[in-house]
Parts: sequence; structure tokens; C-alpha cells
Amino acid sequence: MVDVLAPETATVRVDGPWTVRLRRLADVSKQVLSNPTTLVGLVIIIALLSLTVLAPVLTEPNFPNPYQMPRDWGVRDAPPGTPGHILGTTSTGGDVFYGVVWGARTSLRLSLIVVGVTVTVGTIVGSLAGFIGGKLDEILMRTVDVLLAIPELIFALAIAAVLGPSFGNIIFALSVVFWVKYARIIRGQIIHVKQNEYVDAARITGDSKLNIYRRDVLPNSVTPVMVQATLDMGGIVLTAATLSFIGLAEAGLVEWGVLVSDGQAGISAGKWWASTFPGLMVFLWALAFNLVGDGMRDVLDPRTEGR
Amino acid sequence: MQIREYLLRRLMIFPLIIVGTSIIVFGLSRVGGNPVAIYLEHEMSPAEVAELEERYGLDEPLPLQYLAWARGVLTGDMGWSGVSAQPVTEALVNRMGATLELAIFSAIVAISLGIGLGTFGGARRNRWPDHLTRVFSISGASMPIFWFAILLLILFWVNLGWFSTGRSEPTIFSSIAHPTGVYTFDALLAGNFRALLDALHHLVLPAATLGFGATAIIARMMRSSLVEELSEDYVDAARAKGLPERLVLRRHARRNALIPTVTVIGLGFGFLLQGTVVVEIIFRWPGLGRWMADAVLRGDQATIMAYVLFTSVLFLTVNLVVDIMYAYLDRRVVLGA
Amino acid sequence: MTVRAQTSQQQATTPLVASVRDLRVHFEAKAGRVQAVDGVSFEIRDGETLGLVGETGCGKSVTARSFIRLVPTPPGIYAGGEIDFWSTEARRTGGDPVDLLEIPHDDMLAIRGDRIAMIFQDPGKALNPALSIRSQMAEVFYQHRSEEILMAMGPDVPRIVRRAARQRTTGLERILLKVPPWRAKAAELRRRVDDLVSQALTETQIANPRKIMDSYPHELSGGMKQRVLIAQALACNPDLLIADEPTTALDVTIQARILELIAELQERLETSVLYISHDLSLVKEICNRVAVMYAGRIVETGTTEEIFSNPAHPYTRGLMAAVPSATHQRGKLAAIEGTVPELIDPPPSCRFNTRCPYAVDICRTTDPTDVDLGETHRVACFIYETSLDSAVRPSRERKTS
Repeated sequence: MVDVLAPETATVRVDGPWTVRLRRLADVSKQVLSNPTTLVGLVIIIALLSLTVLAPVLTEPNFPNPYQMPRDWGVRDAPPGTPGHILGTTSTGGDVFYGVVWGARTSLRLSLIVVGVTVTVGTIVGSLAGFIGGKLDEILMRTVDVLLAIPELIFALAIAAVLGPSFGNIIFALSVVFWVKYARIIRGQIIHVKQNEYVDAARITGDSKLNIYRRDVLPNSVTPVMVQATLDMGGIVLTAATLSFIGLAEAGLVEWGVLVSDGQAGISAGKWWASTFPGLMVFLWALAFNLVGDGMRDVLDPRTEGR
Repeated sequence: MQIREYLLRRLMIFPLIIVGTSIIVFGLSRVGGNPVAIYLEHEMSPAEVAELEERYGLDEPLPLQYLAWARGVLTGDMGWSGVSAQPVTEALVNRMGATLELAIFSAIVAISLGIGLGTFGGARRNRWPDHLTRVFSISGASMPIFWFAILLLILFWVNLGWFSTGRSEPTIFSSIAHPTGVYTFDALLAGNFRALLDALHHLVLPAATLGFGATAIIARMMRSSLVEELSEDYVDAARAKGLPERLVLRRHARRNALIPTVTVIGLGFGFLLQGTVVVEIIFRWPGLGRWMADAVLRGDQATIMAYVLFTSVLFLTVNLVVDIMYAYLDRRVVLGA
Repeated sequence: MTVRAQTSQQQATTPLVASVRDLRVHFEAKAGRVQAVDGVSFEIRDGETLGLVGETGCGKSVTARSFIRLVPTPPGIYAGGEIDFWSTEARRTGGDPVDLLEIPHDDMLAIRGDRIAMIFQDPGKALNPALSIRSQMAEVFYQHRSEEILMAMGPDVPRIVRRAARQRTTGLERILLKVPPWRAKAAELRRRVDDLVSQALTETQIANPRKIMDSYPHELSGGMKQRVLIAQALACNPDLLIADEPTTALDVTIQARILELIAELQERLETSVLYISHDLSLVKEICNRVAVMYAGRIVETGTTEEIFSNPAHPYTRGLMAAVPSATHQRGKLAAIEGTVPELIDPPPSCRFNTRCPYAVDICRTTDPTDVDLGETHRVACFIYETSLDSAVRPSRERKTS
């Protein structure tokens, strides 16, 4: 039986133009930041980003290429605390601190490139599949299924291996592997919006597909894409470091995975520092973005979190 | 009814996805320069290579080349593995046991620990044990496996000397027969307790390393599905019957929370497979992962292709089994709710 | 199904089953404390059916759940008051009641499902989808009747079977129970419990209890599930049955039959019932007395007849106007205008003042107190505070806007 006295519940529609979205974004950010673990993640991200900015101040950039490890053959295997080499040196005289600091720049560059490329490609493919639909959708989505059938790291490893060892190829391989999720998100959003009656309303008033796309689909996709991109900022660096640890990057590149690999040989002789510090950086980087991404997902997609 | 249709569709798509995967793998071999590599049978002379190119019609259009290759794969001919100096199929079979053993033990660690931790956190939602499991889970997902392995080695091998790398002590290893290639199982078959202990001793560190990340995935899922189940009416109804919290949790909420958790076991398995590559390098484990890593460094295409294809098929199969299990476990799927 | 007429004389002498006094249940929210139940008092007498009526969110479910402490804490807080409860034992011997809010957790477990049972709103959700009806109902008997069952089984029951009857077995023990020498006794235990389950199902007029026992919830209709839940609730012959909108989720045709069933079982088992509903027409049919709740408070209590023939509180009168009758069709009800106030740290006031057509200044600044209109009829409204000066007192003759 009806609740005769139930108060009028005014349904507020959040789907709207960009300005409304942005205002909502501000609300959401406040909510996201009220979670202490998210806040910790954000603080680590800020610290890591300042490291990238301050790199030339903290250490003298190697000339001509700052991403090439400077060698001081006179001070090999120096433990942490050695004057001039605060975190010690590697077996080939590389400064661990230099690697830790400039490795942050490598990671930032890498993750921004890959996230940029994959979000773009994923958006284009997902939009085509969702809007054109039919056969094209079927083909694209089956392709996506196939790409998801190969475990991410192994797929990237195979691509980079076939192309030959270089950091450029690692970037390329990661771009090939990581776009798929974005295509799924965007396509799912388009299908969802298509089913909502307000798009029908827009159609009746004579809006073009492009307008519907710009006004309804893209704003609604921003948040899930942002969550995925945040998580990927960490995941990409983690995967890239794994690939270069296996040996797919150029020797001497200032990259954390390479450094861990360089230091690995020394651990049986008690030289723990050359691997430990760069590995810690990879962990912190991934942890920070995962904490923030996870916190964002809790707020934006309460379904995954229960109530 | 619905469930049957779903499973039927799933079973029909399965071979299609495998074919798709094989096309991608084949495509990779064509990107990588020397297409003849995947057909070599042993170290061959240039004349023999030329003969091979002729035989597999490498001047023919790509679709025909693919069919010729696929026929070979189906009959167990995947070329010559340069890194292990034997046919790929043979090397694959030889090394499978080691990786499977590692994966199984890690999975046991991950599933039991993940479910335990997830229950622990989910039952104490938003209190400190929950926050702790959350931090643990996210740490597990963020942990570079290669670094975690090295840390464990520094602590337990270099400093404490409790464990070592490798898969077994050579003398003990050669003291028993190895019909299955899964060392613990072989030791059980031989009834050799010392060999079993040795095998388990060597498994501890790599299985713990590998299991950590997968534990995190499972704990996270278990936690959130338990939280969801605990908010259901039937949980309150169980409490209203007078059941103690222990039984409400164990018999009612946890049992149902396990059902959605089954779905991430597939995901966790993928995580384990990926991890074997790095873990096997660091712990000098003679399995498929290290085989792949060697092949990657030496540009041994036949091995790379075989590994990717094998892993993907295994990953897909596990996911298929998981989906079927889920559909049968969840009575609410039948309801269509 | 008619109202069992009880004179006020009888009322006053019938012993109490439960007495709620100044119950306060709050919820901690980000914006402050939601005072969901804010000083509620009422009594339930032996053998009567008390209807607790109000809109969704007025606190009636929270009040009901407080009887067996099912309000989740946190975020809930039992902020004050007491719920005194007399079991059959206590009533017979004239003993003291227990305060359900204060007793130790283990004592509460012993009361839940045994002395006080609850039927939930949606039978589809109140049964565990993964367990058979048999095992869900068996739990009640294992929990509350294990000692009696063991006694009936004689002295030579192995320890492991005793543990099974008390639901204390581990996974390994459950395997042992399937093998000799324990198998026989374990089977006997199961058989005895099955008989009890079957008997309880028969009570609720389920024709083929053995078949129903073996089914899973999704195989049963909504009405059948509610019958199972009623059977489960009445299994231990409780002193008090709390029915939280037990027919809301059911089809109209089945509603009537479930109501009949509850009324009939109540009569036979002499159980007192606290019947929660937002539906006045149902309450009129099966309750002896009615308490009307609004925004966390009881605004009016009385016998069903008093409430329906002479509603005093403006809110109750509003509800009456909203009840469908021959002249009003369903869905075209006269609703009370305005919305329920926020219950976060509300100031002293009559909670209904925002919607009351007669509200004056005093209604917005002072908490009303109960006024006795008769021996059994109480209302919390300033209209009836005859001691107040008529200048500040609201009046039914004078509508404000």
C-alpha cells in the first residue's frame, strides 16, 4: 500500500553542462579528501612531483643527457652515508640518490605519455563503437575481449621483446596494452546515455549527435575515466619498472626498474642499498596513485564499496 | 533458463577468443622481423632455413601463413626453442611443472589469506582492523614484485640464512624420480619425507612473494562483498533468531560473500601468472617464467610466442571455469534478481 | 477478524509484557545527531496486539528493533530510556522485568528468537538465499531447544553430537559426524530437529512441510516465504512477536491471508504482538490498541475504537483523511501538506508544527506533554492542554495558515 504521507522527493539531475559537473567535482573532491588514507596518497604524490621539479637543484644534471646515469668509477659499492653519495653507489659507480631523484622525472614523463595516448585512443575507439554501433561495435568489442585475454604484463613484455629492448618500445608496448579499459568505459557510458530518455528529448529538439556527445556523454564519462587514469598513473610506472627490471630498457638509463636490476647482483654480498631505494620509489609511486584512485572510486562509485 | 543461455554463449565465444589471441600472437611474430623463427626445429643451416621458408609458404599471403602455423600449433609443433636448445613443445612440458607448483602454492596462500583478511576487515567495517586491511590490500597491489622478492631475499637469505634460492637441493632432488615435474607431488609419490620438506622449504619465499599481490586482490573483494552481505535483511533475520555473531558471520554472511569473491580468483590467477616471470628470475626457479625472460633477452621468438599463447589459453580457461562456478554458486543469478 | 473488544477495566488489570519508557535512539551522522526515536513510551499488555503506526522514517522500525537490540551501533546510539520485559516466567511468578537495553549480550541472544521473535517486512530478503528452508529453521531449534532435544535423546549421547546440537562443531567434527560410530546419533538429532521444523511449518497451514523444508527461498512464492518466516518466528512460542510491516511486500490477495494467519496463531498461542504499519486500514482490522508515531515521538495512543472514532491529534486526523474508503479511490488520497522536519538536533517543539493547520507559537518553542483524554486515550498536543491560557493555546476552531 502507498505511503500516503511520504515527503515529496525532488530528484535532482546531476547530468548537465560542464559547469554543473565542475561544481559537483568540487563537492566530490571535498568528500575524497575527507578520507585519511587518500590524503596520505595525495601528500606522497605532491612529494614525488616536487622531486621531479627540484631534480636539477638536488643533484647536478648529468651532461649531456641527464637521464643517463653519471658514473664515478672511483667510488663503487659505497654504502649509504658516504659523503657526496648519500644513498650510496652501485657496483658501477652510479649514484643511487641521483637515480632516485631523476627516476621520478622518467616515471612522470612515462606515465603522462602513456595515460595521454591511451585515454585518447580509448576515447576514440569507445566512441566509435558506442555511437556507430552495429557490426563495428561487435568487431571492436570482440577485439577488446581478445586483448584482455592476454595478461597485461605478459602482453607488454611480448610486444617490447619483439620490437627489441629500448625504453621507447616499453612506452609503445604499454600504450598498446592500456587503452582497452578506457574504450570500455566510454562505450559503456554512451550505451547508458543512449538508453536515457533525455537523449531522446535532445533528439526531438533537433540536437545533433555531436552535441549530445559533447553535452551528455563526455561529461558523464569524466569521472570514471579520471579514476582509471589515476590508478593507471601508478600501474604504468609499476609495469614499466618490471619490464626494465627484466632487461628491456637501455643499460644506464635512469629508471627505477633498471636500478633495482643493477643492484640485484650485489645483494648476496650484503650490498642492499642499490636495489632497495629505487624499488621503494616504485612502491611509493604506485601506492600513492592507488590510494588516491581507490579513494576517488569509493566516493564516485559507491556500488563497489557497499554503503 | 537465463543461466543456461549465458553459459552457452560464454562457451561459444571461448574458442573465438582463443583464435583471436592466436592471431595476435601470430601478428607479433610478423612484426618482429624474422618470421621463420617460429618454424625452426633445431639449430639450422641457411640451406635448411631456406627450405623451411619454402615449406611454410612464407611468400604466400598472411592468412595462408597463419593457417599453416595454426595447424602446426594444433599438432604440437611450435618450433625450436633457442634458449633451451630443444623443441618448444618439449621445453614447455618440461618446465610446466615448476611453474604450476609455484602458482598452486601461491594461490593457496592468496585464497586462504585473502578470504581471512577480507572477513576480518569487512566484519569490522570502518574500524581500525578494516583500515589496516585496506592499507595492506592497496600496498599489495602497489608492491613491485621484483622489489619485494629482493627485500625478502636480503632479509631471509642474506641476513638470516633461513631460506635459499632455487627449487631444491641438487642431491635431494636427484634422490627421487620426477614423473610429474611437480616436486612436492613427486616427493609424496616417492614417499620421501625429506624431499617433501626440501621442496616446501624452497617454496616458502617465492610463494609468499607471489601470493602477496593476489592476496590483496582477494581480500579487497572479500571485504566489500562481506560488507554488502552484512547489510542484507537476512543477516538481521539471523540475528533475530538469537544466533551468536560468530554463526551469523560464518554460516550466513561469509558464505554468501564468498560467491562474488570467486570472480576475482580469475583475476588473481592472471596476477600470479604475470608474477612468475619476475619471481622465477629472482629465486632462480626453473619454470616457464624464467624461460620467457631468457627468451625475451635473447630475442627467441618461438619461445616468446609459445609462452604468450600458452599463458593466455590457461588464463582464459581459468576464467571460464570461474564464470561457470559463479553461475552455479549464485542462486540469485537463477532468480534474475 | 474483528477487533476483540476489551473494556478499559480489563485493560488496566491485564499484566504487562513490555513497557517502553522514554526510549531514545539516535544516529550519528556527519551533519549531527539524528534523533530518530526521541522519548517514546508505551506498553504492551499480555495477549494484545498493539499497532505502531506512522510514516516511513518516523522511527517505528527503529523502536521495534530496539526490543531485541538490532539497531546497528555505530552509527546508532541507545541514548536513553528503558524497555522492560516480562517473560511468561516473570508474569506468572510476579517477578521483576528485565531491561532489554541493559541485559548482557548473551542474555539477549537467549531472548531473541525464543521469548521475542521478529517478522521482517520483505520475506524475499529475510531468508538467506543460499541455505535451504530446513537448515534456516533448524537453527532456531538448535539455538534455543538443544538442551531439551538432548534430554529427550537419553543419556548416552556422545560429546561430539552434543556439540553439534549446540552448534559448536568445527569443520573437521562435521566430517566425523558423518561416519560411525557417531553417524547414528547425529542422524537421530537431525531427525528430531526435522520433526520440530515440520511441525512448526504445519502450524502455519503449510500443506506439504517436508517438501517445503527441502526447497530454497527462490523456489517459493512471496506468501509462502512469509509463512515460513512466521513459522520460524513462532517456533519457540514467544511471549512477544514483533511484526514489522509483514504484508507490505506482498500481493493484496495474499496480504489478507497472512493477516488472518497471524491473528489466528496469536489467538491460539496467546502471544502478544507489536504490529508495525503505515497502513491504518490494516491496523484497524487486527489491533486492539494503536500508538501513532510521528518524527520520533508517540503523538497519540488509545484503543482502536478510540483512535478511529475519535482521533484527537491533528496528525492522526490527517492520517484518517488519507485512509482509502468507499468514496476515495486508492491513489487519490488527501495528503497532509508539508514535509517531515529534519531530526538533526531539533529544538524543543511539537514535531508536527511545520504541517499542522492549527500550529501557534507555543507549538514551535515547547515540547508538548501527554494529556489524558480517557483512561486509555492519551495525546501529546497543546490543543488539549486546558490548563494553558486560551490566548496562547492552539484551537481546532482556529486554523492558522
